[in-house]
Amino acid sequence: MAASNVVFAFVLTLGAGFFALNVQRLVRYMRLGYAENRIDHPLVRLKNVLTIGIGQRKIFRDPIPGAMHATIFWGFLVLTAGTVEILIQGVFSGFSYARILPHPLYALYAASQDAFALFVLAAIAFAYYRRLVLHPRRLDGDNLEHADAYIILGLIGGLMVTLLLANACQFLVDPASIGPEKFVSRGIAAAIAPIDAYPSTPATVFWWLHVLIVLTFLNYLPYSKHLHVVTSLINVFFSNTSGPPQKGVMRFMDLEADVEQFGASDVEHLSWKNLLDGYSCTECGRCTAACPANLTGKLLSPRKIVINTRQRLMEKGPVVTGDRMEFLHPALLHGEGGDAGAQTPAQVMEHRLLDTYISEEELWQCTSCRACVQECPVSIDQLDIINQMRRYLVLSESRFPEEIQPAFESLERNGSPWAFSPADRAKWSEGMEIPTMAELMERGERPDVLFWVGCMGSFDDRAKKITVAFARILKACGINFAILGQEEHCHGDPARRMGNEYLYQMLAKDTVETLNRYDVTTIVTSCPHCFHQLGNEFPQFGGNYEVVHHSTYIERLLQENRVPLQSAEGKRLTVAYHDSCYLGRYNDIYDAPRETLRRALPVVTLVEPPRSRDRGLCCGAGGGRMFMEERVGKRINVERTEELLATGADTIAVACPFCMTMINDGVKAKEADVAVLDIAEVVAGQLQS
Amino acid sequence: MKIAVCIKRTPDSESRFKIAASSAAIDEAGLKFDIDDFASYAVEVALQLNEKQGPGETVVYAVGPDVVQETLRKAMSMGADRAVQLKTDAVPYDGLAVAKALAAELESGGYDLVLFGKHAFDTSAGIVGTATAELLGVPCVTAASKLDIAGGKGTARRELEGAAEIVEFPLPAVVTIDEGIARPRYPSLKGIMAAKKKPLETKPAQLGPVRVTVKSMELPAERAPGRIIGEGAAAVPELVRLLQTEAKVL
Ligand code: SF4
Ligand code: SF4
Repeated sequence: MAASNVVFAFVLTLGAGFFALNVQRLVRYMRLGYAENRIDHPLVRLKNVLTIGIGQRKIFRDPIPGAMHATIFWGFLVLTAGTVEILIQGVFSGFSYARILPHPLYALYAASQDAFALFVLAAIAFAYYRRLVLHPRRLDGDNLEHADAYIILGLIGGLMVTLLLANACQFLVDPASIGPEKFVSRGIAAAIAPIDAYPSTPATVFWWLHVLIVLTFLNYLPYSKHLHVVTSLINVFFSNTSGPPQKGVMRFMDLEADVEQFGASDVEHLSWKNLLDGYSCTECGRCTAACPANLTGKLLSPRKIVINTRQRLMEKGPVVTGDRMEFLHPALLHGEGGDAGAQTPAQVMEHRLLDTYISEEELWQCTSCRACVQECPVSIDQLDIINQMRRYLVLSESRFPEEIQPAFESLERNGSPWAFSPADRAKWSEGMEIPTMAELMERGERPDVLFWVGCMGSFDDRAKKITVAFARILKACGINFAILGQEEHCHGDPARRMGNEYLYQMLAKDTVETLNRYDVTTIVTSCPHCFHQLGNEFPQFGGNYEVVHHSTYIERLLQENRVPLQSAEGKRLTVAYHDSCYLGRYNDIYDAPRETLRRALPVVTLVEPPRSRDRGLCCGAGGGRMFMEERVGKRINVERTEELLATGADTIAVACPFCMTMINDGVKAKEADVAVLDIAEVVAGQLQS
Repeated sequence: MKIAVCIKRTPDSESRFKIAASSAAIDEAGLKFDIDDFASYAVEVALQLNEKQGPGETVVYAVGPDVVQETLRKAMSMGADRAVQLKTDAVPYDGLAVAKALAAELESGGYDLVLFGKHAFDTSAGIVGTATAELLGVPCVTAASKLDIAGGKGTARRELEGAAEIVEFPLPAVVTIDEGIARPRYPSLKGIMAAKKKPLETKPAQLGPVRVTVKSMELPAERAPGRIIGEGAAAVPELVRLLQTEAKVL
């Protein structure tokens, strides 16, 4: 072994060792989070890694930067094989994959190295252009953030250049060592100097430069947002945001548990996965660019929530784990909001994630629309952090906007977030001859399906019309259904979304008890929030039912030709359908409501606003925002209504009573002459009378 | 400061009330009960006073059957330190009888201040607070919309028709609390858990003789449903005509 091999082996050990040390520290900090199992459904997780990770599915949601990133990412995968070869060469001179691979495979490998080096260089050039010239808004950040990006891009560019140059110079020294597959390297060699007796020094220098950049890059990662190079695939594997299990389900919380506090006010009350999310954030800003609160000028930025989580972990981790290498902090302290600037361990302990980094105001601005989660290319769950912090605010400190106290009190006393008398719950059904479960039970009968009306549908004047319309459709189709009548009360979803898990569980358990008492198996509802709650979250309390949203239910009836529609085609309408978050992003139901409209109105023209389906903009009512004042920035419902009006539609269709209220208010605010109808109303309007 | 708050359990005011078969009480089936709104203001005032003035004790009292324990726990989940139930089978309608039971208990309590709601939603009588003050022989201020305590003296604001008065009184005293004085806090889960462990004492109530009872109850006459005459300016003449001829208000 030559002296240079020994030197290299030493440098390699040093570089890899330091990296391993930093990784170990990051893992120790991460373990401050509470434990949870994230290896259930391994196959689904693997599939997510292949599609979202390797396939870069979410990256391509923004096509041009998506292509840029995917090129660099795939280039990385391909070139890492080459890097391994080079590192082995450093220790054992003369090593080459050619020795172990059959020729065609080796030729392919060699060609791929050169080709991808070129692609990556092109992508890097575009990345610089984008950052320096185009300045996309979602990449806004402080100087440190920009410097970080330039350094990383520079390092990657350097890797490519040195790789190609080392190969080119090597070719000039020994043409036999670089095969014709390395066409770029050979081309460069031809351009440099086709002379005899070319000195070997340049090849050696570029080789060393290349491996040094590799090791520098590796060790720079823990100090940069580019840690995601290491963590993102791992994070996608452990994430639940694309299933498993059902998406958008809030964590179960054991209220009897003997814990020091309920909910999260600091990093150790979050799960290790939330902390891994912090390590994985690439600060790309896709989440914040899609956030309805942020879009309308509010403080909330889901990107900031994640970065703050990481910053706080980096501040607190070393202190509580007794990390003596704190001076070699895997920094990551830059980014939105900045570090809280603690000087002493005591100050660090005085800080916490809530208040020091994330304000109460930000947390209450979230509509729980899941747009951030949907966009994140590395499957981070920003909303999970927000929800856990809201729980802390309510359960541990009773801190919340004062407007929601009446909603809490009313839920507790009247079983609905509004102060209506529970006795009036089924008033909408007067004269419609709709049986209640209790009545059927008495007669020894059972319905095929329970119509869960929901609080909006029971008490809100506008929403009651939707309820009546849907009940009329059910009757016209001869469906054997019943309602709970006065036995129905809120399942607690609004309380849960507003952080009041205690109140939620009281209401939820009571509802499960009622439903199970009647042996309910199938439920249909016209409210996406009820749909999500009853179907996806009730299993946490032993409530397992087949729950169908009315959009799907009506679509099925139409498909089976069971709805007695007028033979006339009806009015020629241009309809813009507004996607409900809890129907769409939470449950992937996009086509059923559209299909329902198409089938009910043969001459309908469906138009789409630019933000639709899984990119749809929230109406502003979710996450309990319905019960809060919207004091900061533009009103979200007005923003959304403007988008819908811009389609030129004469009718806006919704499939959610909350969206109905918000969009209706938006239309009124814009003084537009456009009808807002629920899909059930559209269909009911076409029924034979 | 040592503060006692006497609270009552009443049905939710949004309920649809029915008269029971006895025709002398409301039908309690299906009604939700909770701490009376005015009583919850009084609890909040007591908590705020003790928070402001440093170490003190807030004790809540309720007269009634065991269901009032739930109401007492609610007050403790808001922050009251302990509770006393003065047990009876039912809460008598006669406020003086209730006041006697409370006074007998409070007499030896050494309280600086005894708070009540201005009146309870169910009877709207407002007797118990004032009668208790009389029985204890301490000054009484009713319907305070603001209350400050300093140097063994109290200052309260009372809203009058078209004016307000500020009154001053020495401690110990009884004050009954009006609405709008403070927003009752929402108990946190932490508070609810803590309340389960706080002491709740039960003693037999020494009620005075019950001399006033309800003979019968009746519901207000149904209001005639509203009528929509039309919309916009076109409907004005008809509206004016009806206001003159039917409603006779013009
Ligand atoms: S859930 Fe919606 S409102 Fe909340 S942070 Fe994410 S994008 Fe913003
Ligand atoms: S949380 Fe995801 S979408 Fe948001 S900035 Fe980080 S990586 Fe991008």
